[in-house]
Amino acid sequence: MTPAISVAGLTRRYHDNLALDQVDLEVEAGSIVGLLGRNGAGKTTLLRILAGQEFPSSGSVLVQGARPAENEAVLRRMVFVREDQTYPDFKVRHALRVASWFYPNWSAELADALLADFGLPAGRAVKKLSRGMRSALGIVIGLAARADVTMFDEPYAGLDAVARQIFYDRLLADYAERPRTILLSTHLIDEAAGLLERVIVIDQGRIVLTADADDLRGVATAVSGPVLAVDEFTAGRAVWGRRGLAGQASVVVVGALDEADRLRARSLHLDLGPLTLQQLVVQAAAQPADTVERTSA
Amino acid sequence: MRTWREVARYHLVMPWLVVGMPWAIMAFSFIVNLVIFALVPVGHHDVLTSHGVVQVASAAHNYTGAVAIEYIFFFVIGVNSIGRSLPFGLALGVSRRSFYSGTALLGVALAVADGLALTALQAIERATDGWGVRLHLFRVPYILDGPWYLTWLTSFVALALLYVYGMWFGIVYRRWNLTGSAAFIAAQVTVMVAGVLIVAWADAWSGVGHFFTGLTATGLTGLLAGLGALLLAGGHATIRRVTV
Repeated sequence: MTPAISVAGLTRRYHDNLALDQVDLEVEAGSIVGLLGRNGAGKTTLLRILAGQEFPSSGSVLVQGARPAENEAVLRRMVFVREDQTYPDFKVRHALRVASWFYPNWSAELADALLADFGLPAGRAVKKLSRGMRSALGIVIGLAARADVTMFDEPYAGLDAVARQIFYDRLLADYAERPRTILLSTHLIDEAAGLLERVIVIDQGRIVLTADADDLRGVATAVSGPVLAVDEFTAGRAVWGRRGLAGQASVVVVGALDEADRLRARSLHLDLGPLTLQQLVVQAAAQPADTVERTSA
Repeated sequence: MRTWREVARYHLVMPWLVVGMPWAIMAFSFIVNLVIFALVPVGHHDVLTSHGVVQVASAAHNYTGAVAIEYIFFFVIGVNSIGRSLPFGLALGVSRRSFYSGTALLGVALAVADGLALTALQAIERATDGWGVRLHLFRVPYILDGPWYLTWLTSFVALALLYVYGMWFGIVYRRWNLTGSAAFIAAQVTVMVAGVLIVAWADAWSGVGHFFTGLTATGLTGLLAGLGALLLAGGHATIRRVTV
């Protein structure tokens, strides 16, 4: 089956700044993928290139098996909702009406339901919307388009926790009904973690980690306790980072722990805590690329 | 896929911005002119006849440049049709090519319609002897002063030209921001100065003079149409690598 997104050797250079550096990436059709990374890591540039809004300096980009740039056969089957999307001097209902013309699978019912959920006033000028409301408008368009490839770039800037939960719920409900490829870039990693089937971590223009979200659970464990006990337990293991304070130490051990390890840890009076997705991403972004690749296999 | 049709509809989703406002401003300007020339007393001058000196109303025509507003507006609509509309258009999966074709075609259609409206207004103006106050707002000597079909043709070409020129400006600004726009203007000035220098070196001023004095309004319309086609091609070449 053709992957929904296939990127090879993708590089984008802006003057002396390397926004994307030899990115190779494949996303299977019909999955929810989290694109995670710090500010300026290259997430938006990658998504813009996928959406044909930006051009690569070199490398190849295929969306549903074809080059997206200036290719409407592909572009009309994808939607890209940007955090900083500019709209013409429209009211909310104009933006939705226009969007409905361009998307073959547009669902007016879903759009109406989402408007009601978010409390978005259809008659309000987009310019007069608050930041959160503007994000909500982008989400309405992104979901109601029901495009085969749906990309959200930081879709919920300014949205409150309740509205974000509405987004997650609606996204999952509609995804269950009509599976598609959803690419979601976000900073709120733990909040979205339950949603993601796959995770791509990008740092300084490079992909530093690609893995199934399930595989990542338990891939690293924080071990804390008395320094001597921690040292004894972690001897010979791959570790990330180490913090110590007054005879206590905390070390991240890479690799799954088996039952024997857990028993041994208990006998040494060590605390074991699985790393959350967010902590993992923070660790992954802090490591040299090769160490991470080794552990993500 | 006929995406360009949807693009044209997209620009018209708020018709006030492209159709309503220009005509509202035109109407306002027309009324202002009408009031002014209705208030200004008709000039009289003395004519010596066999019956002695007689005062005769001057045959002065009140020409105003107010119709230029419509043309300037087409330039503005052209700029706006790119500015904030292009990013959302591309976000909706429209290709640059379709966006350009749809936007340009809308401009041409608007120019046809508004050119016709200007022609009709000119006909009314002629029929009512300048709206009763010798006001010549829609009749401009030399350029818009021929039969109705030439007035239509010339208005259409000039409106479309300005729209396309505005589009190109909008695209240049999108692609290279303010610096690029300044360079764009500088390039145009350079081309004009180069033209003047070439004429001067070739000592061809008299030829140029003859050309322009011999140029009819129809000939000028043809020149403008050629220039419009050039601008259309320029805009098309510029939008191909625009990013949003």
